[in-house]
Amino acid sequence: MNRNLYQPINSEIIEIIDESPTIRSYVVVPEEPFKFETGQFVELTWPGVGEAPFTPSSSPANTEKMEITIMKVGHVTELLHECEKGQKIGIRGPYGNGYPIDDFIGKQVYIVGGGVGLAPIRSLFLTLIDRIEDFNKSVVCRFGARTPDDFIYKEAIFGPWQEIEGVDMKLTVDKADDNWKGNVGVVTTICNEQDVDVSNTVAVICGPPIMMKFATLKMLEFGFKPTQIYLSMEKNMSCGFGKCGHCMIGKYYVCKDGPVFTYEQIKDYPNIWD
Amino acid sequence: MKHQINQGQRVEIVSISKLNILLDAVAEQMELYTPKKIGDHYTFAKYDSSIETPLDFNNIRAYTPIKEFLFPLRELVAIFPESVEPDEVKPFAVFGLKNCDLRSIEILDKVFLEEEFQDPFYQRRREKLFIISTDCFDPTESCCCTLFGGQPFTQSGFDLNVSKTSDGFITEVGSNKGRDFVEKHLRLFTDAPEALLIERDKTRAKTQKQLEQNNSEYELDAPVNKILENSTDSEVFDIESQKCVECQACTRICPTCHCFYLYDTRQKDYFAKMNMWDSCIRMAYAAVAGGANPRKVLGDRIKHRLMHKFSFFFDRYGIEMCVGCGRCIDADSHGMDIRVVLKKLSEELRTKPKAEIAK
Repeated sequence: MNRNLYQPINSEIIEIIDESPTIRSYVVVPEEPFKFETGQFVELTWPGVGEAPFTPSSSPANTEKMEITIMKVGHVTELLHECEKGQKIGIRGPYGNGYPIDDFIGKQVYIVGGGVGLAPIRSLFLTLIDRIEDFNKSVVCRFGARTPDDFIYKEAIFGPWQEIEGVDMKLTVDKADDNWKGNVGVVTTICNEQDVDVSNTVAVICGPPIMMKFATLKMLEFGFKPTQIYLSMEKNMSCGFGKCGHCMIGKYYVCKDGPVFTYEQIKDYPNIWD
Repeated sequence: MKHQINQGQRVEIVSISKLNILLDAVAEQMELYTPKKIGDHYTFAKYDSSIETPLDFNNIRAYTPIKEFLFPLRELVAIFPESVEPDEVKPFAVFGLKNCDLRSIEILDKVFLEEEFQDPFYQRRREKLFIISTDCFDPTESCCCTLFGGQPFTQSGFDLNVSKTSDGFITEVGSNKGRDFVEKHLRLFTDAPEALLIERDKTRAKTQKQLEQNNSEYELDAPVNKILENSTDSEVFDIESQKCVECQACTRICPTCHCFYLYDTRQKDYFAKMNMWDSCIRMAYAAVAGGANPRKVLGDRIKHRLMHKFSFFFDRYGIEMCVGCGRCIDADSHGMDIRVVLKKLSEELRTKPKAEIAK
């Protein structure tokens, strides 16, 4: 008989990293090796309380432990924000399709991310830079946050990631503090048509829905075709395998057919950004 | 002339004089559920051979959907931190299922027996279900299978099918399980006389005609998926939604609606993950933490439900997710009728300029 689809793998949080006032990262060790592809998601169970979907932010190369970055926004995430390391949780998955990395080969990758949307992007970024030659040695990152303090992965973003050969990174905040020397404005204000050779680039967008909407419009304005724009959609994924129905966008189950879609796939459905 | 069937003779179509003889034989082998009339409606109840009451032979489908037997309203699907395997299911039989019920099982099978993600709880029950279907006659006002590619009698998907005639019950074998049963109980059956087979076919044709007549005013001008796909901007959904009080009865009673809600509970010494029926008509159904909700408007939810049934599901599995059983029409006390909604969309499309029709 097949494995019970609903049974989570017992897991433990072994480390907690404070990323921003509302966002923490958790290092999770599942009881058994856990393989996933970058962009796929997992269902995290808080025993007795509930379950919520998250895309791991670590590299899929590590099957012993994964990192999950979580913003405090609902029941489960609030409990996670109060918990200590050693907390037992459950993990189901991985689910969905992940980023089609092989389709990116030979192309530049233009990543636009905002807020906690940098979580899946981190996993993608780590995967891309491992073999950056495959992507014309060009990974362009345009990241935004509300304030400098709201950036997650500060240590990496403000430092080592910027130094990687082939990575072109610009950051922006909606609201600066006294120490901020960079750009102020929404993320599309640091996106420029000249950043990449649009005809041979894929755009990857992940962030709050409103940001994804305007970033997508900006990419279209630059001349990206809807088939070149990859979006990580966040809907109410619950079962994870295309049955319970909560996450549907039109005919697609985000949990099974996504969470990564090209804009072309979903552009004609209503309210995709809501 | 009737005569006992001997070993090696044709057992595909046989006849049995009394229903109780058949049902007692089934009940000897497994738990059996039979139709029971409560008020105006049939539902299923456990068969008790010791009670000498005439059986309610349901002329139409039961009010309650067969999904109850395969995918219960609520069940425990995981225990934490120890794991749980589905309970062993004993063989069970349901008598009196209609063709629309069988078609709904076909639809649920597509979803829950999907190779990659087979639901072990559904699978165990499905495997143990012995289906004894019966022909419909005297369909009710809401019955509309003929509008949705169905008919009031079965051709496949059953173990045994029983047709009531003027002289006994014609029993047709539809599977190996059904054949095994008949072969094991040959002494109970006789050959099915040609005259009764002709009578059965006449009754079937008559019922079908009656259904077609009852529903003639709802005939659509185009395939239903095409109508829906060209109606995404229609106001009909919002207008119809004014009759809807969001009771969700249509989705609960629907034999093909299969959305569910997973939730976690805390017990005395363990944590449990439960699975419960859900409804896409519910306001917060698609909402995410933080409050975003792509279908805040009721009309959009009604549209999504119909799109799912007639377009999205069709795209994915090659069949529509509606069997025309009419249960949702019976259940809607405020007068929303799926036939009327589709007819309105169909009319609207007919008057739409050709250039605006996408496919």
